[in-house]
Formats: sequence, C-alpha cells, structure tokens
Amino acid sequence: MSLLEIRGLSVEFPAGENAVKAVSNVSFEVEEGETFGLIGESGSGKSVIGLALLRLLPESAVISGEVIFQGQNLFSLKPSELRNIRGKKISLMPQNPAGALNPVLKNGLQIEEVFEERRVDKKEGMKRSLKLMKKLFLTDPEKLCTLYPHQLSGGMRQRLIACMSLSFEPELLIADEPTKGLDPEAKAGAVDLFTKIKKEYGKTMLLITHDLDLALEVCDRIAVMYAGEIVELNEASKVLNTPVHPYTKGLISAQPRNGLVPLRGQSPSRIKLPEGCFFNERCRCSGIECSKKHPEIKKHKGGWVRCHFQSLQ
Amino acid sequence: MKYLIKRAGFMAFTVFAVCALTFFLMNVIPGGTAELILKHTLIGLEESATEEQLSQISSRYNLDDPLYLQFYWWVKEAVLRGDIGTSYIYNKPVLYLLTLRLPATVQLAGASMAIATLAGVSLGIYSALQENRISDHILRIVTLFGVSMPGFWIALILIIIFSLKLKLVQVSGYGNLENLILPAAALSLHSVAAVMRVTRTSMLETLGQEYIRFAKAKGLPVWKIISRHALKNAMLPVVTVIGFQMGNLLGGAVVIEKIFAWPGIGSLLVDSISARDLPMVQGCVLAIVTMFLLVNFIVDILYTHLDPRIRYG
Amino acid sequence: MVDTMDNAFAKKLKKEDVLITEVYGSEFSKRLFQRKDMLFALVALLLFTGLALFAPFISPYDPNANELRNKNLSPSEDHLLGTDYLGRDLLSRILIGARTSLSIAFGVVLISLITGTALGCAAGYYGGIVDEGISRVIDVFLSFPGVIFALAIMGVLGRGVFNLMLALSIVQWAKYARVMRGQVLSIKKQEFVLSAVTSGADDFYIIRRHIVPNAIAPLIVLATIDIGHVILSIATLSFLGIGLPADVPEWGAMLSAGKEFMRTAPYQTIFPGLAITFVVVIFSILGDGMRDILDPNHEGGEIY
Repeated sequence: MSLLEIRGLSVEFPAGENAVKAVSNVSFEVEEGETFGLIGESGSGKSVIGLALLRLLPESAVISGEVIFQGQNLFSLKPSELRNIRGKKISLMPQNPAGALNPVLKNGLQIEEVFEERRVDKKEGMKRSLKLMKKLFLTDPEKLCTLYPHQLSGGMRQRLIACMSLSFEPELLIADEPTKGLDPEAKAGAVDLFTKIKKEYGKTMLLITHDLDLALEVCDRIAVMYAGEIVELNEASKVLNTPVHPYTKGLISAQPRNGLVPLRGQSPSRIKLPEGCFFNERCRCSGIECSKKHPEIKKHKGGWVRCHFQSLQ
Repeated sequence: MKYLIKRAGFMAFTVFAVCALTFFLMNVIPGGTAELILKHTLIGLEESATEEQLSQISSRYNLDDPLYLQFYWWVKEAVLRGDIGTSYIYNKPVLYLLTLRLPATVQLAGASMAIATLAGVSLGIYSALQENRISDHILRIVTLFGVSMPGFWIALILIIIFSLKLKLVQVSGYGNLENLILPAAALSLHSVAAVMRVTRTSMLETLGQEYIRFAKAKGLPVWKIISRHALKNAMLPVVTVIGFQMGNLLGGAVVIEKIFAWPGIGSLLVDSISARDLPMVQGCVLAIVTMFLLVNFIVDILYTHLDPRIRYG
Repeated sequence: MVDTMDNAFAKKLKKEDVLITEVYGSEFSKRLFQRKDMLFALVALLLFTGLALFAPFISPYDPNANELRNKNLSPSEDHLLGTDYLGRDLLSRILIGARTSLSIAFGVVLISLITGTALGCAAGYYGGIVDEGISRVIDVFLSFPGVIFALAIMGVLGRGVFNLMLALSIVQWAKYARVMRGQVLSIKKQEFVLSAVTSGADDFYIIRRHIVPNAIAPLIVLATIDIGHVILSIATLSFLGIGLPADVPEWGAMLSAGKEFMRTAPYQTIFPGLAITFVVVIFSILGDGMRDILDPNHEGGEIY
C-alpha cells in the first residue's frame, strides 16, 4: 500500500457568481520513502494540492475527492485528529520563508511551539531540534533561538523552517516551492539542503516546485501539472530528459540553459475551461481532435500522459 | 534606544515650535495686547483707553520691542522660572491656574482612553473573528455612526436620556466616579469606534499572513494561533492609532468639559477664548499639546517594545 | 473562528494561485456599481446637495423669521421638526444650515488640498533642503491636536466665515502635504518621469503632466473623508460659540441654542445632530468606497 494516495482531488474557489477551478480530478500515489515532485508553472494548482492535503485551504474552497494517508482519509478526520497529524506525521514547509516566520516572536519560541500539545518533553524536543539545526548547516543554533526572524538571512530562515518541519521526523514532508524567491546562491544551498534531508532522513517527500533543476536533482518521480490537472507522470529522469507531452517539452525548452524558448500564449481561463485539451491553444502539434475532446490520462512507456497523440511521439 | 532619543528630541522641538506659533499668533493684532491688558486690569471693560495709558502699559510690558525679542524674553522667563505668563482675568500665574485644572482633564481623558482601548480592541477582535456574519455587520454599522456622530451631540443625547428622562445621574458635578460616567462615555465613543475599526482591519490582515497558515500546519490549536501569533502583530497599527486618538480625545474634551461643567483645562480654554485672556489661551494650548506629545512618546516606547524589527533594526 | 482565518487566506490565495482577472473589471464605473453602499451614499449626497442648493425655494418658512408667539413648538403638521426659541422653523433652518456646512467644508478641503498638494509636490520633487524645511513644518502641524489649534486661532481672530475657513485650512493642509510628498517620492523614480526628465521637459511641466495625475488618487480619498471631519469641526466650534457669527444658521450653533431647552424641547437637540451625523456618514461611506476603487492594493497584500 502506498503511503499517500490521492484520488480524484478537485478544488474550486468561488469567485463572485463563478467558480475558479484550481485543481480538477487529480489522482496520484506517493510510495513510502520516495520523493515525489509536482512541477508546473505558477497558477497550475500544484501549491493548492499541497495545502489541500493538510486541509489548510480556506473554508470557502470546495474540495472533493479522497486523500488516503496510511489508510486514513484525511478529509474525514475530526479537527483534533487532524491537529495530531499536522506537523507530526505530515509537515508542510511553506513557500516564502520570510513570510512564514512570525516577525514579533523569537525563533526559539517558534521552534519550541511545535512540541506543545504533543505530550512530548519540550526540553528533550528542543535538544533534538538544536542537533537537527547543526546538521542542516546552521552554526550556533543556541544563539539563533534568541534572535528574531528579521535578523537572519533568507537561506538561514529556510533552514530554520526546514528544521521546524522535521522536528518530529514526519512520515511525509510537503515542501512547497522551496526555491521560490531565493537568490541563485541560496538556491544552490537549497539543493544541498534537500539532498541532505533525503539522505539523512530517508522519509517520504512531496516536493512542489517550478524549479526543474531542483526536481531533477532530488525527485524520484515527477508529475507535471497544467491548468489544474496532471498532464504527464513518470520517473524524474524520463520526464525531464525524454518528455512526451508537448507542455513538458515546452517547459524544458523554456529553461535558460536550453535557450529560453518561451511557451506561446497563456493558460486558459480557469472559470470556463476549454472543451477540448486545455493545452490545445498553445500546443505546437494540435490536431482536430484536440479542440473537441478532452484527452484522458493514459499509460505510455511506463508512465502516464494526457495527450491524444502520445503514441506518435 | 537611538530611535527613542530622536523621538524625544523631536518632541522638545515640537513643544518649542508650538510655543513660538502660539506666541506669534497671540500677538498678531497690532496694538491689541496693550489695550487688552488695560481693559482687564486697570480701567474696566466699558471705558476706552487713553493714548497715555496705552503707552505706559506698552513700555512696562516691553510691547514696543520687536516680536522676536519679546518671544526671547518669554522663553527666558519660561525656562528659568517656569513663568509662562499671567492671566488677565484671574491675575494669577498661568502655570498655577493650569495645575489646578490639570487633574480633572487627566481624569477624563485617561478614563476615555481606557474605555476606547479596552472596548475598541476587544470589539475589533470579535468583529474580525465574526467576519461577514450578522454581528460583524451590526458592529460595523454601529462604528460607522460612532465615528460620524459629533461627540457633543452624543453628550447631549446621553444627558437627555440618562439625566433628564431616566434621572439616573446628575447632569454635572465633579469629584466622584458617578460624575465621570457620562462625560467619559460621550467622549470615548468616537475613539472606541475608531480603535475598533483599525483593530478589525489589522486583525483580518494578520490572519491572512503566511505565518498563521504555517502555525496551523504545525498543528497548533486555534486559540493559541490567535493569542500568540495573531494578536501581537495585529496590535502594532492599533497602538499607533490609540496614540493619535489621544489628540481627538483632548480636542473633544474641550466641548465635553464645557457641557458637563467639568473643571478641566478644556473648559478653561473655552472660557479664556471668550474672555480674550490670551496668556491663558496660550497656556492651555501648550498644556494640551504637551499632554498629547507625552502620550505619543509613551506609545512610541510601547511600539518599540512590541516590534523587534524597530528595536533591533 | 476558524473559517474567518480561512477567508483571510482565501483573499491571498486567489491572488497567488488562481488567475481571477476575468472576474473583476478594472473600470471605475463598473466597480462603482458593484458597491451598493456607495451608490446609496452617492444618491443621498446628491439629494442632500440638491436640498441645500434649493433650500430657499423648498423651505416651508423663512429660516430667519422670528415669531415669538410660536417659540419652542413641538413637531407638528405646521412645523415638521418644531420651532426654536425664537419661533423659527427648525426644518427650514436645518435645510439652510446644510448650505453653510457643505460650502464651508468644501472650501476648507479645497484650500487644504491645493496647498497640501503644492507643498507636498515641492518637498517630494525637489528634495534636499526644501524637503527638509517643509517636512519639519508638516511634522509640527501634525503633531498636535487640530481642533485645539483651530480653537486658538479662532480665539485670536474672532468669529466669522473667512476666519473659520482660514483656521480650519491651517489645521488641515499638513495631512495632504504629507501624503502628497510620499506619493511624489515614489512616482519620481518611475521610468516615465525619468524619461520626461531626460527629454528635457521643465519641472513645472513634469509635475503638472506626470506627477500630479498619478499621485492624486489617495488625496482625493482623503479629501472625501475629510469633508465629513471638517463638518464636524465646524459644528464643534460653532457649538462653543467661537465659530460663525450668531446670525448665520449652522447646525452646531442650533444645537448650542437648543441645549438650553433640552428638558422641555429635546427635539431641538436631536434633529440638527441627526443632520450632522447623516452628512458625515455619507462622506465616510463615499471615502471608504473611493479608497477601495481608486487604491485597490491598500489592503497591503503583496502579489508576486
């Protein structure tokens, strides 16, 4: 049995009289011990999936589908049961480390509070956290605890947050856009950090990112998202080296080292999605079928692809 | 620390500037001062002054000297002997008269400030947590009217209801707590509404921050998220507004004191204006401005205490 | 409680994760008509200004006609809101009082807006010693309670329409100057200004054509809300007997006269106050609405 199983997850946000379809009918499984990457451009719905797992989305969001974690459906848990899972069994490493730390509270308190309400000895927990901080390239962790977040650099903040998320050695770590907004140096540091986390803790990780370098470096399998649905899913090296879906191909050739060839056009409106393939308007090789029928996701060479023409490629 | 020294310096500068401003303001009417002194002290209000009497007074009070010299002497007296002028009407030192009236104003403004802070902050938090429910809407409409109704009108309405119709409290009087209720209520209503508005907005803004979501992801219970993570951040703009409200309270106190015959500096100011007792007017303005600046200085200290980014910035 | 926090998230999330440009049109009028409270306030304001403008024609009585035998009458069919201590019709006086309050308030706000804009522009655009000087003056003016200062000025100058406008404008301008200065500082750095500078346009042209139009929105918002505040100040000063001359019909002065008869004729206290509240509420709603429309980012949400 997989550690995490997502079945038919859809998320809609009501916006006035319409609804914005952020995620539509996404299903995938994450195996114990693997690092699973969700990649795609901003607004593709990947971060919404991460937040939906821990039920951190606003109440106004309409969520359907099932999320099975260790045999439990996370969507049918009581708030108190959910709290026991949050931070302990599943933790979230939020995007934007600067915003995720409370500016008026000392770092120490923000680390310590993870152990509150957990029937864990706080001192014992702090000792573990301090050790962890050292492992994650943070020097002099005791002093860091007496400082406030604004006194740290961006990279340090991210490590601090990683440390908080790993306090309980969670079964599943959801890392949401860890390299977003970091300068190139800190980005390289983030790759090191995640390699380290993977090696030292060997736990399962769901990595949400638009950073293909990071994904290639760390992920075992990758799902590519476009307009709220998965368009391609396969082993990381296969997706990134021999992509099948035209969108994945476009994404890769838009990388700076591949010549920065931009994808033409824009993502479709998420209020009124096109009838056919969502990528149709921007696709270089669309056919008549593509504008009429929405393609189903189908098996292809050991992976999954959502395209009418996958057999030709 | 450096910040506070700068603030204290600015405060001293402002007091000086206000002294200068009021001093020159009081002396803009050419030849007026001598006539005023004469009418009030020597010859009585009905008679008109003779040229001889006027020039006598002018030379005695150095009124023929240029204004800046007169101001220099005024400042010298004020700094060396605490003498900021003599009231025409009472024929006593202004400073002495102010000390007699100060306690009443401090009492009234202090009580109103306490009400504004306590009621405003708690109602604001409540309103934010009930966002868009009926109680929130009702509170918001009440605040809209609260900030729009003239304070003196509220005072009159309160008198009509509680003193004249229900005969619960006396209209005027000074000395015990019962007398304080109506004036403080009338004076604070505007500020309660203003503080509540800011608290609500700030609380909602804070609740949308990423560190609140992260705190949820850590598995903290709701009450801890609000009390620890939201409240302190949300209070930052509120503290500043409370400081500014002191200005409204002191301004409003002038009218409220007059209506309730409250023996404070405000009613003294109005009486002095009607009687054209200019040194007294100047003294009252100075006293009120100094109080306002002091309160805001205290607010600044409080603010630096709340926000580590300023303390260690 | 939980879902309040969630709704706050929702606002952020919508901005970040989902494209919602198609939901909200950007045109002013479209947004205006989406706000029912604003429409209501606008209609009420038009109605009220109309009443004030045509007060002499619609007033049932001459607002200044004394009829001592009809003094202190309760509201009735003849006198809808009753009469005052000189037997003058209260409704007619309130209507004519609207003229006084609105026109003085508009005048004060206009003077403050123009002065504040000019000085704020000068400070922000020229910087250096000009900025230093103007900024210190602004700081001083903003650092003590306005009503008190206005009181002191009126105390020296004496009652009168011109004096009142002068006193209130002296108190008000600094707010506008501060906001304008901040606006100019940020706009000055933008490309279209830089390109105008490099193409050799003179300062006045740049300020008039590029800076003021782009900086004025928050000042308009401020001015709208301020009209309400100024009306309150006028009423306060008149109530204390140091605002307008006794023969000018004004709401604050009416309240002051009415309060002598609170016991027997409380309506003389109630109605003028209601009129003040009503007008100030209208301008509060308008101001808030204008802010949402003209300055949609003022909530402070970052979009990235």
